[in-house]
Amino acid sequence: MLAAVRALPSTLLIGLLALPGTDPEKTSFSVLASFDYTEGMTLPKEVTNLDEKVVVISGFMRREVPGSNPVNTFLLVSDGCGCSGMPKLNELAFCTLPDDVTMDIKPGIVNVTGKLYVGEEKEDGVVVMLYQIDADDVK
Amino acid sequence: MKPIHILFWLAVCSPLLALIPSSQDPAQDPSNYDWAKEVDRASSSPRYAIRLAAAKRIALGGGAPVPALRAFVAKRGKNELPAGIVETIAEQTSLDAPLLTLLQEWATDLDFYWRAQALRGLANRAPLLPIGQQQPLRELFAERHTDPAWLVRVFARLGSARLGNGNVLGEVEEDPRATSKLTALLLRSGQLPPLQPLLDALADERTFLDSPWGQSRAREASLALKDWLAADYPIHDGEAAPDKAAAIAAIVAAAAKKSGQTLQVPALVETSEQAFTGGFEILSCRTGDLFVRWNVTGEVQFGLDGRTKVQLPGPVWEGLSKERATLPLSRDLGVVICDNLRLRWGPPDVHIKVAPNAMPETVANWFLHLAKAIAEADQPRLTEALRTGLEQFGPR
Repeated sequence: MLAAVRALPSTLLIGLLALPGTDPEKTSFSVLASFDYTEGMTLPKEVTNLDEKVVVISGFMRREVPGSNPVNTFLLVSDGCGCSGMPKLNELAFCTLPDDVTMDIKPGIVNVTGKLYVGEEKEDGVVVMLYQIDADDVK
Repeated sequence: MKPIHILFWLAVCSPLLALIPSSQDPAQDPSNYDWAKEVDRASSSPRYAIRLAAAKRIALGGGAPVPALRAFVAKRGKNELPAGIVETIAEQTSLDAPLLTLLQEWATDLDFYWRAQALRGLANRAPLLPIGQQQPLRELFAERHTDPAWLVRVFARLGSARLGNGNVLGEVEEDPRATSKLTALLLRSGQLPPLQPLLDALADERTFLDSPWGQSRAREASLALKDWLAADYPIHDGEAAPDKAAAIAAIVAAAAKKSGQTLQVPALVETSEQAFTGGFEILSCRTGDLFVRWNVTGEVQFGLDGRTKVQLPGPVWEGLSKERATLPLSRDLGVVICDNLRLRWGPPDVHIKVAPNAMPETVANWFLHLAKAIAEADQPRLTEALRTGLEQFGPR
């Protein structure tokens, strides 16, 4: 069974893994990036209200490191133009696909559905994430 | 020593401890910092936020990291330098001479991906420089007001405006993104430009081949207005937002009151994506962006907002469509770092990105045939734009 599931196209597999019965809350980078982020600040209520909610959000897929292979994790960013620079931490969400699932980076806009975690996460004193999504569905 | 004496010396010495430089903070002790390691971390760490944090440390170091940056470029090439380093340096205001020289070199290098960001760094620093050092920058900015890359135009005009040239907003601009971005940057720099372009941007929901460029403008405009209006911004944190049209009307009223300008409430603008059957976009930090899309009858539109239209003859369009359907385009071509070509059309469904020098010859030939058809429709300017934009994507 697992072998058969692994043979499915990754986008279809992700669709099958979408949480049944949940009604994702639609949000956007207009909300997540609606403030000038500085480290240690109190995040706006409309953002913290989304913590641990299943959301659907659109954006552009970007690799965390350059390459061409399918990915299990990716950045969802608010702006598709690489020329416009490096997104701030509140202008991107770190998305992780289910274990063993990988997919190609898609060009253009995608809709990601999954559980959103809001809050500063630090490693060695550096804030490394503000928004994380356990992505169940990428369309 | 009595406890009271210990407490006395603690009270005296504790504030002095804060003055001892920390080897972990480049802003405190830039000369002893391992900048080569930091540049390497900013470019090569597998973690995005680590790269971002390292870039910030480099930016705070002023001129001290410049030798390490030059060494990195000499070893790896200038376009291996990540945008984040140049961008975070641009946001700071260090006037260290080695850094200013480096920014000028980057800003004037047509082959450097991040020259717009370097220009932004100069624009932010220009008003802080002595008058004698401002003149060469005035010329550098003025020469780039009509640059093909829209971000270069924006930051060049910002630099000119910050040095007292108030005419930059009156210059001809065909890219809607440039007008609203410049207005937002001027507002954030403490000037009060005519605000209507920002308010118009709030109502922009236009897309290009489903890419929501209008929303990006709206978000940028909203942030700039929110910052400028501060307590007068009509939608407060935690409050339920009214519907979009009502929210825009409230922001227009607040902006008119504070600025004294006569401002219009814009109507929402959208794109009907169903009207188009395909197109492509070139995003190039170097040669500028190009947006082309078409409908089923062979009307080809140029520009993000489709302001220039060319109707190709039916048989010509039919031939191009047949040839296009045979092109071998099933997945992304090459590794995109900055400049890229996005193709989207059907049938058969194609949606891929192409990196420079990665376009197969058959696809390059199709674009040549499209350019020829546009030329025969008596549109030499558009033909030239197509050829210039596509040149770097063709096979080596």
